[in-house]
Amino acid sequence: MKIGFLINPVAGMGGAVGLKGTDGQHARAMALGARPVAPAKAKAFCTALGPTLHTFLTAAGVMGGDILRSCGYDCETVYRPAAATTTRADTIAACEACRAAGARLLLFCGGDGTARDVFSVCDHDLPLLGIPAGVKMYSGVFATTPAAAAEIIRRLGEASCIDAEVLDVDEEAYRHNALSTTVYGIAATPALPGLRQASKWASDGSSEGRTQEEIARFIVDIMRPGTLYLLGAGSTTAAVTALLGLEGTLLGVDAVCDGRVVGQDLNEDGICALLERHPAAKIIVSPIGAQGFVLGRGNQQFSPAVLRRAGPENLIVIATPAKLSRTSSLYIDTGDDCLNAAFGTSIAVITGYAMAQRIPLKT
Amino acid sequence: MRTKILLDENDLPRKWYNIQADLPRPLDPAYNPQTGQPIGPEDLAPIFAKELIRQEVSTDRYITIPDEVRDILTLWRPSPLYRAHRLEAALGTPAKIYYKYEGVSPPGSHKPNTAVAQAYYNMKDGIERIATETGAGQWGSALAFATQLFGMECTVYMVRGSYDQKPFRKMMMQCWGAECIASPSPLTNAGRAILERDPETSGSLGIAISEAVEDAASKSTTNYSLGSVLNHVCLHQSVIGLEAKEQLAMDEAEADIIIGCAGGGSNFAGLAFPFVREKLDGRRPDLEIIATEPTACPTLTKGLYAYDYGDVAGYTPIMKMFTLGHGFIPPSIHAGGLRYHGMAPLVSLLHQEGIIGSRAYHQNEVFEAAVRFARTEGIIVAPEAAHAVKAVIECADECTRTGEEKTIVFNCSGHGHFDLNSYEAYFSGALPDYEYPAELIAASLKDLPRV
Repeated sequence: MKIGFLINPVAGMGGAVGLKGTDGQHARAMALGARPVAPAKAKAFCTALGPTLHTFLTAAGVMGGDILRSCGYDCETVYRPAAATTTRADTIAACEACRAAGARLLLFCGGDGTARDVFSVCDHDLPLLGIPAGVKMYSGVFATTPAAAAEIIRRLGEASCIDAEVLDVDEEAYRHNALSTTVYGIAATPALPGLRQASKWASDGSSEGRTQEEIARFIVDIMRPGTLYLLGAGSTTAAVTALLGLEGTLLGVDAVCDGRVVGQDLNEDGICALLERHPAAKIIVSPIGAQGFVLGRGNQQFSPAVLRRAGPENLIVIATPAKLSRTSSLYIDTGDDCLNAAFGTSIAVITGYAMAQRIPLKT
Repeated sequence: MRTKILLDENDLPRKWYNIQADLPRPLDPAYNPQTGQPIGPEDLAPIFAKELIRQEVSTDRYITIPDEVRDILTLWRPSPLYRAHRLEAALGTPAKIYYKYEGVSPPGSHKPNTAVAQAYYNMKDGIERIATETGAGQWGSALAFATQLFGMECTVYMVRGSYDQKPFRKMMMQCWGAECIASPSPLTNAGRAILERDPETSGSLGIAISEAVEDAASKSTTNYSLGSVLNHVCLHQSVIGLEAKEQLAMDEAEADIIIGCAGGGSNFAGLAFPFVREKLDGRRPDLEIIATEPTACPTLTKGLYAYDYGDVAGYTPIMKMFTLGHGFIPPSIHAGGLRYHGMAPLVSLLHQEGIIGSRAYHQNEVFEAAVRFARTEGIIVAPEAAHAVKAVIECADECTRTGEEKTIVFNCSGHGHFDLNSYEAYFSGALPDYEYPAELIAASLKDLPRV
């Protein structure tokens, strides 16, 4: 079977530097010291896939050909970008070329922005599957990990083609603390149980707010003097800063110590600098909606370097029971397998005052 | 191979065993929450029968069971001791497994062992009505059953979580003529205070106790009755262990491991205390005694040994016990009878002294064990007793690994016929594995001032 294979080489670069997305922000991300993310994810996919009878149609260079060939795959180049720095137009043109050359599935490596571009070519009649590499991946077309994407491709004959939402957030609004999600359409995507992530589920407010307050009250009660608390994105963590009477960023990483905000909307470097000054630190995060990602989606500021420095044992996960009920497992995808394994096979999630739930953890 | 080991009605014990006679050290005194002074009989008299107060502080090794109480107990006692041949075979273990089955009582659990005695002593004192609380409904139904036998009225404050989950327990209480009220209720100061703070609370045993105590204290012809925790309750439950010892002897067996689930501690104490005596006096130093509990409410495994109130509102005496704090409201796990922040002072002292051990389990592994038990031994156990079953299987598996032929005895404290919605939740994968974040709490306590 012919499979289109495309990499958005700039996808995910804005994560570690706190840009909450890379759409139109590539130059800024580079200036902030961002490093490419997608090529490594694509390579992880190829390594996990191993030998295959499928034929890859791809774009030249960093958009796919380089990685495929370096991993030993024969592939057919159907598109060549005009410039070294690729754009959305290149992604769309490459998809159209793959489709014209007979691709029966489009496999792409990127985030929600890339998914939108690929979907604009596929619509519902050509299936697509995402190798997760973006800052945000709220769409339902992504495999849970690059290895899971490889597993789906290896077992395509067993996979069912299901409908999945293609979602994206308004990144500009997102950068200003507003979460505005738009459904761009329903794509067809191959899925095997447990290997595809669900679309993000957003809290409905009302009773959620009450439970979030209860969780926040517990977190505030166990806070210790001199300890640095790094609070990740989301309304559950925001309830903690609100209870402390502090102003935080809803969708960024904020740092609190001794009842004061000591860092706002931090990127990886900013967090590392704080950890130098505060050896005792706790990272408090809430999983992303129904997808269940604790690390590796929407909070890449908590990079492997940050997590190692803080220590996996100092990760505190908080979530309302309603949110947890929408995912049977939680996922950690730091991009570093050894570090992923350090979090163990299950994790306690604080779900109320002095109350936790033990949830299986997958990487 | 014998499966049921049965005693004759005449073999029903004539005396209860009181472990206070054999403790390694006396219990620490309880304190009056109002005066802060050590509690005396006069402090308890407004809500407890005189004989129960005497039993609470007695250090006599044996206390005679009144004939009127024995007559009623013979409706279901002596309860059978089963040898779990089929479970042993399914596990492939060299261990011998026995269980005392208390689900044969009319209310379906061990609770009427003390309910009948308490109702009797209150009736003798001229009390017309008893107020109490209930968690899963086992205690409430047992006291409803017992009070109607002596022509008394009964009001039961039932933890709201269970009230909603287990309507059939409520109907049992109504069948036996009792009034069952969801707690917290708007009928008491304690209930109103909680509802004001949290109108949607699922309640807790600690809140329900506050309501029942307040009810009893405000009416001269009403007394209060507690289904666990207190010394006299553990005393009345000792019939379980006394019978089990006789039954094991009939099968020429001797226990190596004793297991019971522990919420307030009474069913565990009932089986274990007559055996603990042999460990305390040096006859059985290697006897292993294990209390099991939920990770959602791990009083013995994660709690502190400290003075605390027995209820949320602070009406009850302050007792030295293992506690998670009287303000702790455990999540709505299906083993409602194990949702109590404290533990019987007698069980607590023995745990503190290292004479008994404890293990905590998550809901799903507990129900997995219960289903395994149902599919081998046939009995669908209550979620509380399922915690004991889980530990039994764990101990039997340890024997399989070591090749030891230990004899394991556990208290199967009740059937789960009114808990089938819990099993349904387990089968549908909808049971959360709650746990108490003890490490985070302990870390935060490091900064408390030492006093």
